[in-house]
Amino acid sequence: MGKKWNMALSLLLVVSMVLTACGGVQQGAGGKDKQELNWVITAEPPGLDSAITTDTVSFQILNNITEGLYRLNKDNEPEPAIAKDVEISDDKKTYTFKLRDAKWSDGKPVTAHDFEFAWKRALDPKNKSQYAYILFPIQGAQEYNEGKGDQEDVAVKAVDDKTLKVELKDPIPYFLMMTSFATYRPQREDIVEKYGKDFAEDPDKMVYNGPFKLTQWQHNKSLKLEKNEKYWDKDKVKLDTINFTKSDEVSTQVNLYNTGKLDFVENLDASFVDKFKGKEDVKVFNETTTFYLQFNTNDQFFANEKIRKAFTMALDRSIMTDKISKTGSKPAQGLVPPNVEVDGKSFRELSGKYLKEDPKEAKKLLEEGMKEEGIKKVPKVELLGYDRDTAKKDQEYMQQTFKEVLGVDVDIQILPFKQKLEREDAGKFQISYAGWGADYNDPMTFLDLWVTGNAFNRGDWSNKEYDKLIKKAQSNPDFEERAKQLAKAEKILMEEQAIAPLYHRARMQLQKPYVKNVWRHPFGADYTFKEAYIEGKQ
Amino acid sequence: MGRFILIRFMYMVITLWVIATVTFFLMHHLPGSPLANEERIPPELKEQILAQYGLDKPLPVQYLDYLGKLVQGDLGTSFKYDGRSVTEMIQQGFPASAQIGLQAMVFGVLLGVILGCISALRRGTLVDNGATVLSVLGYAIPSFTLAALFSYYVGVVWRVLPAAGWGTFAHSVLPSLALSFLVIAQITRYVRTEMLEVLGQDYMKTARAKGLERRVIIIRHALRNALIPAITIIGPLTVALMTGSLVVEKIFNIPGMGWMFVDSIITNDYTMIMGVTMFYSFLLILSIFIVDILYGVVDPRIRLTGAKE
Amino acid sequence: MAANIKNLSPDLFEPAEFDHTKEEISRKRLSYWQDVRRRFFSNTGAVIGLVLILVIGMMAIIGPGMNDYNYRQQDYNVQNISPFDRIVGDHWFGTDNLGRDLWTRTWYGAGISLLIALIAAGIDLTIGVAYGSISGYFGGRVDDWMQRIVEVLVGIPNLIVIILLLIWLEPGIFPIALAIALTGWVNMSRIVRAQMLQLKSQEYVLAARTLGAGTRRMLMKHLLPNVMGPVIITLMFTIPQAIFFEAFLGFIGLGLRPPEASLGVLINDGYKMLQVFPYQTFFPAVILSLLMFSFNLLGDGLRDALDPKLRQ
Repeated sequence: MGKKWNMALSLLLVVSMVLTACGGVQQGAGGKDKQELNWVITAEPPGLDSAITTDTVSFQILNNITEGLYRLNKDNEPEPAIAKDVEISDDKKTYTFKLRDAKWSDGKPVTAHDFEFAWKRALDPKNKSQYAYILFPIQGAQEYNEGKGDQEDVAVKAVDDKTLKVELKDPIPYFLMMTSFATYRPQREDIVEKYGKDFAEDPDKMVYNGPFKLTQWQHNKSLKLEKNEKYWDKDKVKLDTINFTKSDEVSTQVNLYNTGKLDFVENLDASFVDKFKGKEDVKVFNETTTFYLQFNTNDQFFANEKIRKAFTMALDRSIMTDKISKTGSKPAQGLVPPNVEVDGKSFRELSGKYLKEDPKEAKKLLEEGMKEEGIKKVPKVELLGYDRDTAKKDQEYMQQTFKEVLGVDVDIQILPFKQKLEREDAGKFQISYAGWGADYNDPMTFLDLWVTGNAFNRGDWSNKEYDKLIKKAQSNPDFEERAKQLAKAEKILMEEQAIAPLYHRARMQLQKPYVKNVWRHPFGADYTFKEAYIEGKQ
Repeated sequence: MGRFILIRFMYMVITLWVIATVTFFLMHHLPGSPLANEERIPPELKEQILAQYGLDKPLPVQYLDYLGKLVQGDLGTSFKYDGRSVTEMIQQGFPASAQIGLQAMVFGVLLGVILGCISALRRGTLVDNGATVLSVLGYAIPSFTLAALFSYYVGVVWRVLPAAGWGTFAHSVLPSLALSFLVIAQITRYVRTEMLEVLGQDYMKTARAKGLERRVIIIRHALRNALIPAITIIGPLTVALMTGSLVVEKIFNIPGMGWMFVDSIITNDYTMIMGVTMFYSFLLILSIFIVDILYGVVDPRIRLTGAKE
Repeated sequence: MAANIKNLSPDLFEPAEFDHTKEEISRKRLSYWQDVRRRFFSNTGAVIGLVLILVIGMMAIIGPGMNDYNYRQQDYNVQNISPFDRIVGDHWFGTDNLGRDLWTRTWYGAGISLLIALIAAGIDLTIGVAYGSISGYFGGRVDDWMQRIVEVLVGIPNLIVIILLLIWLEPGIFPIALAIALTGWVNMSRIVRAQMLQLKSQEYVLAARTLGAGTRRMLMKHLLPNVMGPVIITLMFTIPQAIFFEAFLGFIGLGLRPPEASLGVLINDGYKMLQVFPYQTFFPAVILSLLMFSFNLLGDGLRDALDPKLRQ
């Protein structure tokens, strides 16, 4: 008996020793939990060269392994990062950045030259950067990129190692935010030259100045990020590892989430929303995206304002947001999404509510419009669309509604995306289902599209006053007045109904409750993991 | 035989060249450009980037450029995956797809031949009907539904095997199984039909009259002849499975190459389209060639050279 | 013995009475096709298959009219109603996520799918059998060339061809069927060719040729009927392949225009919701399986009926 008791006691002792030993290791990593995050990416990042890449997944990764002059904080405001502070001239066109003592992962300091080099590299036409236009606010950038100007005339200059001077073409209120974007990140000339074509193709063929560094990249499968010990603000970084798993299928993500292989699901579709609704795992990500119907004003039928209005009023937007997508998307009240700000305030509050459902009025307007144009019989209308996410269902809803409310037969022409774009560019459509996401936090990113002659003004709508207002706003250093000009412009656009905004998209996601402090951004890169941590997993 | 193989090899090269040429000119007629950010690039910029890629040159010039590189074995770099070589990407994706495809094929063919034989020999019995139902289900239920069901029930509800992912053999079981259903279905049907056909032939009676053992008759005489149509489809089917299934790889998160075929065409990734096409065609032609040789092995009466006619 | 024969005189013999009726074939003479029909209808499985196909075909025509809904009518008050927990109205198969009646959509879709599949299979059959038998029968140089052409056709990515074709023709039932068949007949031709290569060296073929049968007679009377088995099996595979391929085309934006439905589209849409609303895949999948099953029974029956060796 005594022997047995002895055995049990020593076993207990061993077990408790092992346990404390384990606990000790975890303690060292900060807290009780292993600081490892298992995130999902919906595609293989096409390229991690910050000057060249254009897609959201690459932006997500880059946002966490590199850092620009500024970084978006928790509240989506730009906050000094590699820059210590900035001096802005009175005409708001000259920015002088002072850099802090930050280091790259190989120990070399981050200098102003790294920024100048990276920006000019992105603008060099030889490098074929498809996102170079995001640098166009800089004086001389567009000319150089289009091959009409010289590299020396691009107004970004490293005055010394720690001072960067930038001159802008126009005074814009959102430039600091832009400096947080991928294309504005620094690059090291020696590294880029050393690896040439292979730069940023593998984890060891690039350097990092962000909170994390890339340590493993298994193409089309996974990426692994580890804490960057050389990062200037490393004390705030709590995660040791982030594992990104590639999965582009929601049900697969959900399966992996349920079996504990993932801490996150990117984009729940309507059917899963019903299943998870009300659970604490559910997070809503409000994008700054507007989906809208683009009317072709060159079309005989849609040249008429009243007819365009009729089609706009016929729709009940809440059906698309609450019944079809169910992910928290919001019915549109104008072109610009509610989370876009101007001069520190929500633009929607400054502007008005322009969209309402009114079937009776819609029917009346259609008749009046047809009388004005001398059209006797309602023609067959073609809606140009595509098949992505809920797009097809939205189109089916609209088809039925136009028939029920207006008595118009709408033919949906679903095309592969590239083919749809080609049709739009050629102006071969009547109504087109389209979406646009903000490049930066300012209504201008939406409003300048409908200026006469703009390539993205695919419906060829034209209004002289609108053009004038946008032009004025573009070069107005008085940001308060500028905001009013933009609001007025939106009003014209909505009153003439050049387009019929439908909704602002939101994504519904799952995130394990033990994952804390992941910042979500509606602009630029989607997530920041700098201060994220794991708590309460065990 | 040596001469025969040499001639066939020459044919293979010519066939590949014709495929490359036709595909090249066809794909350049697809709408849109290969630029990923096409919907947002200002048009002037777009023209200029296309010019930098050399896509503004006349098509025949581009074709000759491409062919020149192809002859040197250079498939170029992808448009979408900036700067990554197409060859490298195929090398990265092929092993996973090939493993799953081969496993599905081996399992499917074995089971298919056995089921087909049994149901032909026991025609009209419960076994036969069961095999028929199984094979009908095998192709009436698409592999993506099977894959989704497997992943959910085996992976999530019962937790027997990983729901998705790639790395160990356990990861490859469910996807292989999901793909093998179609193989089982097809092989079972072909073997059963042909077996019935063969069993009714005179030489089967002769063999039996000679007093040969039933087993020997079936394997040596009947099965050998019954395999002809099965072999015809096994070649291309193997290649199709080894180069990956888009949806099954998606559902099980397999870093294979199934996505490349559709993705490259939808994004107009010209070099990728060509690379994947050349790779696939090469395997396919090779498999057809092997099948033609196998005909001779299985049935010596089939003479391939047949130029005497 | 020999002496005896000599002694026989003619008057010992008298002509037997010739009765024509005894020489006649007592069974009714059947042509090949009459025999085929007779054998087909004596096969229970085949008849069940035929009846099932006819029933599904009928349902595809009358099914959509059996309740008060049509295939495109949406109702946002009855989204995703499962037929198993509560029935609202007469949605016998439940509703989809736009509140459309799945009973109507399933039968309507079955009709469209059948149409596409049959057109595609018909084109497959015609081109595939003709090409394969010519290639296999003549062999030698003709076969070589025809096979190289096939290799080229198989090598070109069919998606490119189909996109271009559908840009040119505008998506619709016939163009989609054509696009599917355009790339599908190759398999059929290869099967037929393989069979031909095997058959043409058989003894009965040699016999027929020795007796002076011409090419046309050889092909139509002696070879093609013997290829029927694998041809029918291949055809059976063509049908579900066509149905799923149509759904895949819809997936990349080249399929039927919404709100049209087909079995493939329904299964494709439903599989995304398999975990949450399994019934949305269940019914179309069952109809498709039934369809496949009956085509199979029918195919087996046809094969047996058409096979000259099994003629009694």
